[in-house]
Amino acid sequence: MTTTSPVPAAGAAPDSGAASATLALPPRYRVPGWGVCLLVAIIGELAYFTLTTRQFAGGGQGMLNLTEQFAPTGVLALGLAMVILTGNIDLSCAANASLAAVIAGTVLDKGGGPAAAIAAAVAVATLVGLFNGVVVALVGIDSLLVTLATQFIITSVATSVAGASPPFGFPSSFTLIGQSGLDYVPIALLVFVVIAVAVIVVVGYTGLGRSLTLIGYNPKAARYSGIAIRRSLTSVFTLCGALSGVAGVLLAAYYNSAQPDIGTDLLLPGITAVILGGMDIFGGRGRIGEVVLAVFVLGYMSQGMLIEGDSSLSITMITGLVLIGALVVKFAFERNFRQRMNARMRRLRTPLHRDADG
Amino acid sequence: MTTAGKVETAAAARRELARPARWSWLLRRREILVTAVIVVVVAASTAAHPYFWSSSNLAFIFADSVVIAFLALGESFVMIGRGIDLSVGAIMGLSAIFVGFRIQNDGISLPTAVLLGAGVGIVLGLGNAILVGVVRLPPIIATLGTLSVYSGLEFVITNGNQVDTIPNSITDLGSDTVLPGIPVILLLTLPIVIISAWVLRYTTFGRSIYAVGDDAEAAYRAGIPVQRVLFSTYLVSGLFAGLGGVAYLIYTSGASSTTGINDNLTAIAAAIIGGTALTGGVGGAFGALVGSVFLTVTLTAMSFAHVSDVWQPAGVGVLVLLAVVYDSRSRANGGRRGAWRLRRQRARARAGGAR
Repeated sequence: MTTTSPVPAAGAAPDSGAASATLALPPRYRVPGWGVCLLVAIIGELAYFTLTTRQFAGGGQGMLNLTEQFAPTGVLALGLAMVILTGNIDLSCAANASLAAVIAGTVLDKGGGPAAAIAAAVAVATLVGLFNGVVVALVGIDSLLVTLATQFIITSVATSVAGASPPFGFPSSFTLIGQSGLDYVPIALLVFVVIAVAVIVVVGYTGLGRSLTLIGYNPKAARYSGIAIRRSLTSVFTLCGALSGVAGVLLAAYYNSAQPDIGTDLLLPGITAVILGGMDIFGGRGRIGEVVLAVFVLGYMSQGMLIEGDSSLSITMITGLVLIGALVVKFAFERNFRQRMNARMRRLRTPLHRDADG
Repeated sequence: MTTAGKVETAAAARRELARPARWSWLLRRREILVTAVIVVVVAASTAAHPYFWSSSNLAFIFADSVVIAFLALGESFVMIGRGIDLSVGAIMGLSAIFVGFRIQNDGISLPTAVLLGAGVGIVLGLGNAILVGVVRLPPIIATLGTLSVYSGLEFVITNGNQVDTIPNSITDLGSDTVLPGIPVILLLTLPIVIISAWVLRYTTFGRSIYAVGDDAEAAYRAGIPVQRVLFSTYLVSGLFAGLGGVAYLIYTSGASSTTGINDNLTAIAAAIIGGTALTGGVGGAFGALVGSVFLTVTLTAMSFAHVSDVWQPAGVGVLVLLAVVYDSRSRANGGRRGAWRLRRQRARARAGGAR
């Protein structure tokens, strides 16, 4: 045995059990601080648009009212975030939202009350989600393929239900969900916040949430530790379907009409928000809270640009650039961070290693 | 343990014997299977509506499927390498707009237009290639971002205008037929498909794509420059999408700011129906062409059968579902095994243990 002092070994005591284990950080180590970046981005946007555009702030109330426009995207993104957390994806959620909007509109058109319309819309969307979940979890087909197919099918069903003249002009008891507020706070924003809190609790503090994260992080380990993978996956797709339904209801209420393609354009912003929120597309990593922040970043950015007079498609382009730019920076930073941390760990471990060898 | 293994191999052997071995390879080659289904669909539609088997209708079907075939072809290169390119439709649209305006305003000839389209495609594909091959973003994120950028760019470039005056000398390629039912554009496309099939099958580059898609780690250890191969597949995808833009101009004689925006997923669907798997390592060029023709034939047959156009997307969706359910390769493996297969496996294990 070489004469190394016991001090470094004692200093590295917490690690000493794994002396022969790998020296590297886990490849999916998550760099903290992304949420702070997003928060800074929101504040920067609000400040910028308030300074440049008179209508943007509207005495603070304007800023709040703008949230009505991206609350549906946010609700959609929350459902999607849970699915992406498991390493799956749901391409059908936007079409599902359209279907829900059409169903709600049709029920209202046929003389049903707002409650019945909302219930029917969310129920149908939930069933579609359940179907996705069953096919993904029980038949075991890749979710990208399944939801690619159901997306096409749902689009047809929605168009068919809507018919030649899609329903519009709903009673104000329904449209108030998307168009008015309790005191100062828009109802759509309230719905989004309540759902966001619920999803944060479910993902962060319940057994289901832990299962979802583990399934995404390492499906094999999840299976060997006895997690009910099929049930969890079915649940998460069903939940995503239900949230798509809520998003569809919000859309129909906001636009006071139910075109069969009303939600189709939300797919890209939805996925973009989830990814910008730092969710790993391969699953197992990410925080719902940061996705919520990303929804506000993207929402205020596009609404601010709309008010400034940019067209919605050039905003799509800017959104894409922001997404790519943010992720390139994030990936480069994480790689650099990981390398530095690994180097530091290697330096720390060296005397201990010699000790073990001797 | 050994008995279980023996029982299993014996059972497998019995299954092999039970299967009519002489024809089974036909079912395993997806291109041939899909071609057979195409023949059945065409025969049935012709029996119901004789006009289906007319030169102009067949030419229409082929010209329509050529556009999707180009996208699916590029998508196949990417998907065989276990990637995905969500931006092919947008690249096609940009190429169609860019080339279309040059034809309309400067009157450039067809060969120049094809070269220009290929150039536009390669430049746009370069964006994906850099993001995936150099920056190493996950392909689905990178191409989602470029999809947003490119479809926004389509709008910015057109600026409210659209391409609508393409000279007949060019659009005739989509409607003139060399043989009854075979449009010129299909004859121009076939060599490209054959060359792609050759590249995939017989060149080092092609085999490298399969190797990378099958197992990137193993490919890396075998000395294949994984990132460079991935880089190239996105260039190829862009190139074919650019050519697809020219084909779109020939076929529809126009382009607008929304051209191709909805074709991204259709291209993936065609590639999947043609036998290319999202999980990488399998697929081929002929599959892309056959898959596209199959999609168009089925959709045309649906409208011949007086099914409302509303149900056309559903038709695509059902075909994709059928294709993936038929294809056991696309079932998730490893940790996310399908329940049916799990149950079968457990039953087999129990049977083995009992003996």
